Amino acid sequence: MAATEKPDGALGALMRAALALPILALAPRAGAAVVGEVGASVLGYKERGLMKATEPILFGHAVIDDVWEVEASAVGDILTGASPQLVTNVNGQPMQVLTGASVYERRHAGDAKVGRRFGELTLSASAAVSNEHDYHSKAGGLEARRDFNDKNTTLTLGYGRANDHVGSSIDPNLDAPRTTDQYLAGVTQVLSPVALVQSSLAYANGRGWYNDPYKFTLTFYPDQPLPSLLPDLRPDHRRSWAWLTRYRRHFAAQRGTLQADYRYFQDDWGVRAHTLEVAWDQQLDERWSLRPALRYYTQSAADFYSPVIPRPAPRFQSSDQRLAAFGGLSPSLRATLRLDSVIVEGAVGYVHDASSLRLGGSGTSAFETLRAVYGILSVTYPF
Amino acid sequence: MRTLVLVAALLAAGCTHVAPYERGYLARPAMALEESQGMAHAMEKIYPSKEAASGGAAVGGGGCGCN
Repeated sequence: MAATEKPDGALGALMRAALALPILALAPRAGAAVVGEVGASVLGYKERGLMKATEPILFGHAVIDDVWEVEASAVGDILTGASPQLVTNVNGQPMQVLTGASVYERRHAGDAKVGRRFGELTLSASAAVSNEHDYHSKAGGLEARRDFNDKNTTLTLGYGRANDHVGSSIDPNLDAPRTTDQYLAGVTQVLSPVALVQSSLAYANGRGWYNDPYKFTLTFYPDQPLPSLLPDLRPDHRRSWAWLTRYRRHFAAQRGTLQADYRYFQDDWGVRAHTLEVAWDQQLDERWSLRPALRYYTQSAADFYSPVIPRPAPRFQSSDQRLAAFGGLSPSLRATLRLDSVIVEGAVGYVHDASSLRLGGSGTSAFETLRAVYGILSVTYPF
Repeated sequence: MRTLVLVAALLAAGCTHVAPYERGYLARPAMALEESQGMAHAMEKIYPSKEAASGGAAVGGGGCGCN
């Protein structure tokens, strides 16, 4: 199922517009102070037996006159390997069957954000695009941020809308829309000279096409000569809540910082998920720091998830194991080198998702363990 | 808006007031709530493309056809 890909000129145009327009309009004034950074990073991701992805990223960020803030990035994904297509119980137990053909996919994405400060209030607008041969996404957002009490407290409100179009390599007639409205409210509070906390609540209301056009379920029954075959069938709407809380605490004597992030997620598909990541950032000397981290994830299954087709066949059914009940552990290690003219960051991580890691141990038995490694190298030039 | 200001004031009342000249440690990179740009973009799709949960941090980002 190799995909041929045409270069996407729209992405280049977006990047140029986002980076050039506000700076050119404002910076040439005499005495304009521009502070920021530009950089590049690359992600390598490899699943055991399945997908491999390489992702180069370019990014930049600038604050002009302490009033305007501009941020932009461009991403190019290259995916190769196999993605499970069929879940079948032909051998008794449900199992994932990979497509015989090798997949080659490219994705281009870019985003830009512009903000202006009015005293204690900052207003920002953002735009994002993402294009693959079978998926197109355009999104925009607005954000208001207000500082109180000498910046000890910050309130953030945001609204975003994403318009997606889903296509398929195996069904050229598919061009299905999906629209998602997103709302965010958050508070950041300084707790002490060495600690702060942020808590934010996000609500998303989506409607449109959610079926995965590449996933099928083929189920054999002992009392039926012919198996049942169903494509992926999901509701045409999805409402979700995500509550994210982040805590940072510096320990000056140990020259280290504790970072803890917790997120609770729930949606009207029946998914409930907890994510907890704890990290310790250790300053080794003036230039080097090391950050070991451990992330734990657990989720319940969607109401319509099933690795076999129930009888009678339901209205909604998916055997996509991303909707199953499972848990995951992901340790990672990041090293940072800070010099005056450049910052280099390197990270390696391991992802292990399994049925047995679900909180309480009652994961979906048909869930096939995922093992993946990733590495990231990022170079940033401050100016 | 008034409700939000009231919430902010109540929150602020319960915490130590840190003056601008006391914010040295808070400005350290390790104290940032968001990752650096290079890391954040690289990490963005690793977990959400394998899990059902997503979001919580920002709005206005597009999706990906991660299948």
